[in-house]
Amino acid sequence: MTRIQISTRIVILCILGSMCSCASKNITKYYFQNKNVLDSIEHSYKIQYQHKPFTIEFTDKTFQNLAVEIWTDSIKYIYDFNEADHRLNDTLLKYKLRTKEVYSLVRQMQSIQCTWVNNLDYYAGNIKHSMIFMSIRPRAINYFARKKYYIITYFPAKQYYDKDGTLLVNRRLKKVRKINADVFHRITDNVAYTLSDRFR
Amino acid sequence: MIYLEPELKRHIERGILKCIVALLLTVFYTLIGHAENVSDTTPVSTQGQAIEYLSNFKNIDQSSFWPNIEPHNFIENLLLNITKPLSVYEGSNTNFCGYAALTYFPLHTDPLGYAKFMIKIYKEGSATYGKAVIQPSPAIHKAAGTLRFKGYLDVRPADQLWFLSLADHFKGYVNIFKPHYKPGFENTFWASVNYAKFNRMVRTLFNMKVDARGFDLIHPGIGNVYDYITKCMTSGFTVLYLNNAFLYRRKHIMLRPGIPTHYIILLGLKKVEDQITITYWDYGFRSLRQVTPAFLKKIVFGISHCTKKVNDANSN
Repeated sequence: MTRIQISTRIVILCILGSMCSCASKNITKYYFQNKNVLDSIEHSYKIQYQHKPFTIEFTDKTFQNLAVEIWTDSIKYIYDFNEADHRLNDTLLKYKLRTKEVYSLVRQMQSIQCTWVNNLDYYAGNIKHSMIFMSIRPRAINYFARKKYYIITYFPAKQYYDKDGTLLVNRRLKKVRKINADVFHRITDNVAYTLSDRFR
Repeated sequence: MIYLEPELKRHIERGILKCIVALLLTVFYTLIGHAENVSDTTPVSTQGQAIEYLSNFKNIDQSSFWPNIEPHNFIENLLLNITKPLSVYEGSNTNFCGYAALTYFPLHTDPLGYAKFMIKIYKEGSATYGKAVIQPSPAIHKAAGTLRFKGYLDVRPADQLWFLSLADHFKGYVNIFKPHYKPGFENTFWASVNYAKFNRMVRTLFNMKVDARGFDLIHPGIGNVYDYITKCMTSGFTVLYLNNAFLYRRKHIMLRPGIPTHYIILLGLKKVEDQITITYWDYGFRSLRQVTPAFLKKIVFGISHCTKKVNDANSN
């Protein structure tokens, strides 16, 4: 075996090794590293959503193409755009979304590879609550892992966790609360995370 | 002349008599069956009839079969479904889309039949709908009303009952590995609906005529999908069985299996130049988006054209 062949194999092994390396980087660490941006996205989205319900979803790996879903009273409109596309601006204006704020939100989402932001309604004791649901596909991704997305949820109030930090239904019932079949874990009292195979 | 023993003669006579009776019965039941087919009509009723019927159950007692469904919430949910049929929601991240899609039919053609079935199953724990005797298992009785974090399906116990009971009753090959319900199975293959199962459910429950074109794994051999769907939409209801991963164009997913995963009720289809605007009921609300003809062909795996039988088929 020639020296070149050996070095080629070593390089291939290194590449494979790095791809298989543990991408399940600590999400809590990730959250605190990007806390300002994440909190800002949550805050901004919550305000814009109250003004006009919508979601933003990046549809490709380059984070240049996005799908915008906008709800009116009777219908949900789904549009696909390139970020630079002037139709995006026209559409936001048409549905009376605040363009400056939405563009800012888009840029913030791009900066941390946030794939999707959405408002999810849930009910506790028949009372409606809303939480902000973010899917993030970090750069240091394990291509062979089934669960590729960090899901970070912002609850409107303090939640209950067990001693291991697993999200519970409530303090009285020591039952694990699953959201979309995923078990969530504590980051802060009202922010939880999970690793998921789907982003929405 | 052949001499036969009297005993043997009696046996032969009885045998011949039995054959004649069997023949007559066959002819009789065939005629009855034919007569039934002739009068085979999809049941229809109005929203007003259903609301009036439900007004008799305002003070219905708590069902012992459904411990997690309060009667007040149950009736409220039924009334909401009947008055606002498009508000029915499959739930976030569940596999109930097939059952949600077929809910469209009774709520638009026979809301009274739907209401009667729902009241009966709530009171008695089981009931018959069309040709199906729905007898949910104890696990379903216990689970209905407890599903959470599914959006507003959380507070719609009647819909939970309906979806879970249908998923428990109707089985297709996709349900082989998870035949019995366990908490959380609403997100799994237990609740999945393959194409043949969907069409079978529509025929069995609502006695509708279903012209189905499509398969679970390959595209239907239809030359011009747009033209075919447009033709279907001139009567009855049109259901599309499509690949949701393609419908929502996600290119950051490494592997996108090219199989259908979702049912939608088509409400409108309009072609302007090279763009087709589709309006569809995607549960909870109507959705609108634009696609190219090639993209439409790529995502569609099944087209079910459902019409009311005999009297009003192809005239709706």
